[in-house]
Amino acid sequence: MSAANAPLLQLSSVAKSFGAVRALRGVSFDLRAGEVHALLGENGAGKSTLIKVITGAHQPDGGTLAMDGGLLEKLSPAAARKLGIACIYQQPALFPDLAVAENIALRLESGGALRKVDWAARRLQAVGLLERIGADISPDAEVRSLSMPEQQLVEIACAIGSGARIVIMDEPTASLTRKEVALLFAVVRDLRSRGVGVVYISHRLEEIFELADRVTVLRDGQSVGTCPVSGMTEAGLIKLMVGREVAQLYPPAEGVAGQVVLALKQLGCAAGGVKNVSLEIRAGEIVGLAGLVGAGRTELARVLFGITPADSGEISLNGRSITVASPQDAVGQGIAYVPEDRRRHGVILEMHIAQNMSMAIHSRIFPAAWLRDGAEARLAQEFIRNLGIKAYGPQAPGGSLSGGNQQKVSLARWLATRPKVLILDEPTQGVDVGAKSEIHKIIRRLAMEGLAVLMISSDLPEVLGMSDRIAVMRGGTITALLPGKSEAHAVMAAALGQNP
Amino acid sequence: MSNPSIQRGWKAALLRHETLLLLVVAVEWLYFNSVGPRFGSVDNSFDIIRHSVEIGLLAVVMTPIILTGGIDLSAGSLLGLCAILFGKLWRDAGLSPVMAGVCTLGIGAVAGGLNAVLITGLRLPPLIVTLGTYSLFRGLGEAITRGVDTFTNFPASFLFLGQERWLGVPAQVPLFLLVAGAVWVLVHRMTFGRTFRAVGFAPEGARYAGIPVERRIALAYVLAGTVAALAAIIYTARLGQAKADAGTGYELFAITAVVLGGTSIFGGIGSVHGTLLGVAAIAVLNNGLVHARQPREVAGMLTGLLLVLALSTSALPKLLALLRSHRQTVNPEPIKS
Repeated sequence: MSAANAPLLQLSSVAKSFGAVRALRGVSFDLRAGEVHALLGENGAGKSTLIKVITGAHQPDGGTLAMDGGLLEKLSPAAARKLGIACIYQQPALFPDLAVAENIALRLESGGALRKVDWAARRLQAVGLLERIGADISPDAEVRSLSMPEQQLVEIACAIGSGARIVIMDEPTASLTRKEVALLFAVVRDLRSRGVGVVYISHRLEEIFELADRVTVLRDGQSVGTCPVSGMTEAGLIKLMVGREVAQLYPPAEGVAGQVVLALKQLGCAAGGVKNVSLEIRAGEIVGLAGLVGAGRTELARVLFGITPADSGEISLNGRSITVASPQDAVGQGIAYVPEDRRRHGVILEMHIAQNMSMAIHSRIFPAAWLRDGAEARLAQEFIRNLGIKAYGPQAPGGSLSGGNQQKVSLARWLATRPKVLILDEPTQGVDVGAKSEIHKIIRRLAMEGLAVLMISSDLPEVLGMSDRIAVMRGGTITALLPGKSEAHAVMAAALGQNP
Repeated sequence: MSNPSIQRGWKAALLRHETLLLLVVAVEWLYFNSVGPRFGSVDNSFDIIRHSVEIGLLAVVMTPIILTGGIDLSAGSLLGLCAILFGKLWRDAGLSPVMAGVCTLGIGAVAGGLNAVLITGLRLPPLIVTLGTYSLFRGLGEAITRGVDTFTNFPASFLFLGQERWLGVPAQVPLFLLVAGAVWVLVHRMTFGRTFRAVGFAPEGARYAGIPVERRIALAYVLAGTVAALAAIIYTARLGQAKADAGTGYELFAITAVVLGGTSIFGGIGSVHGTLLGVAAIAVLNNGLVHARQPREVAGMLTGLLLVLALSTSALPKLLALLRSHRQTVNPEPIKS
């Protein structure tokens, strides 16, 4: 292929693994000059990894990258920038204490630390770039004082100023208002007309139809299709995103749900971005909580667990109205939360697994606050056996365990509190396949023992396979309640805010 | 998943560290005993102990604070303020030394509570808060005395506490052992110590485990304030006078002793007995150098050297853990951005 008609960027069967997890398993993708190419996929489909390969942050294990037909080898972030590849992240990476003009200059200027700074030229350059994208931002403003979309515009100004030929935008509209979105789209169209290739990532299907020329759908680290947007329908895209068989590996639901254990009425928390949530969970029932990243699922869990207490609405437990103002309250009431980020919140990596497991029940197993190593070791042994935790003993530091086993330790800590309601946040994220199905069996067993389970998951097959009912969140509230045996595309459509 | 002998981690490292420190103290002792003819005498040993009780007290209660990942720079200033207030209560308010002492302990607790409220309530870093109260407490002491007032002529019954022997040992020793023992039990045998460590390792993780993080941090600072007041009383009894500059720089000696004793400045790792060994290492060194007819400045240099060595060993397990966690990041992609 000659350089003249080669695409701007060409990825061929790119693969990338992290340990045993294959994040990308042969992705092919091409970007032409002067097009907006949307990248679509569920959470965890491999979009972020793909971006990191393109920007040089990750080295692929297999496959090739080519720009203008020329092979790119051992791409580093610095080399990628030099080639004109710019990425605008959801969270802009600017220096908050410096002025806009200084931030732009830091990206664009090169040279030694002892060079003379031409402040006037810096300012002029910033004014020019901001004008070009139609941004009404003072070059002298401190970045700290700018709103999130304004900061994104500064990022775009940097990208244009550096003469970027490929601009990657990772969910740029996630925090923008409608008017700001319109401004951003105008900028993107302007970039396109100048021959820049734009990779556009968004969960909002309507944006893709409005803006993109072509769309590539990723699923499980593979590209499942690239097609012009004009020939596509929303339903077609959703089908491409989720179109896999739900494996029959999930433990079957047995028994009937009992009394309502947890009832939420119009629950809200302004600080946490949760509003008007009403939901009931019965004993023995697993309610799956689906939704896109940022829909407010973890935020809801944090409200129920008292980390960001509710400021409106009502929580009832077994028919009695309760207040949850702190995690201690939650534990006292019998609400347990196995958090999503197990390395930061779930397990204290430096402490023994026995110490981790007893952490939420100090007052029960250590009467008079006196440590009793024997009781603690017995508790740990019991959970190590019951949950099949692979560790060399109760004295093993949490950090020495694999992800799946850490998750079980985190789970054990909360089962030890003998909760009435168990909230699981992404219980199998980053867990290998074997441990995943073990954890699923444990969850089902707990439900059958009468626990009310709320399971947050971005893994759609998991939600479909495990849940007795599915609540879908969008924009901080529950927008749909679906039966457990729903179709994948119905859940995805609800999460995306489409009418199925 | 990886070598358990490395994973066994910080407890073993700490043990090694404390053994090493014990060795250092022993070597110091043997060396100074060979060069200074009067160094090994009972009188001199008691002298070493007398001079290290106040810093020892501050160091013992500094340990839980550093375990939580905090620091208390105000300890020395608070000692000074409490000494002044003790003198004021006794001389000007006419309280008996015992009553004045009880009130001083209460004042110390309140001052520690001020640190705690600023740290947990306003969520300010302990370094900043206690840097502020470091100036505040000292400044209050100077304002009360206008920099010149000195409290002296305490009754002999009070000076007994700092200058005489009781049960054959310096009178302040039983008191010191009582406090050190109580804090040791708190840190090593009770759930409080467990939660101090949890907060030090991972404050957010501790919160998510339902630990009352703020209350635990507050406990550590209130305890430190109360014991600083006790140290002030013993200090006044030892010197027979209370001045506004009492305890100047003691906080740094205390922190040095804690870190020397193997407590990680990052929190989580450490022990009270390690701190006691750290105090001993510094005290013996300072006293011994006098007997060896070396200038005082050498003591500072050698203490610094010891500290750097200790820091490099206490940072090691944390560094290893950090490296491990970086290597273990297997999350396929940071899905939630």
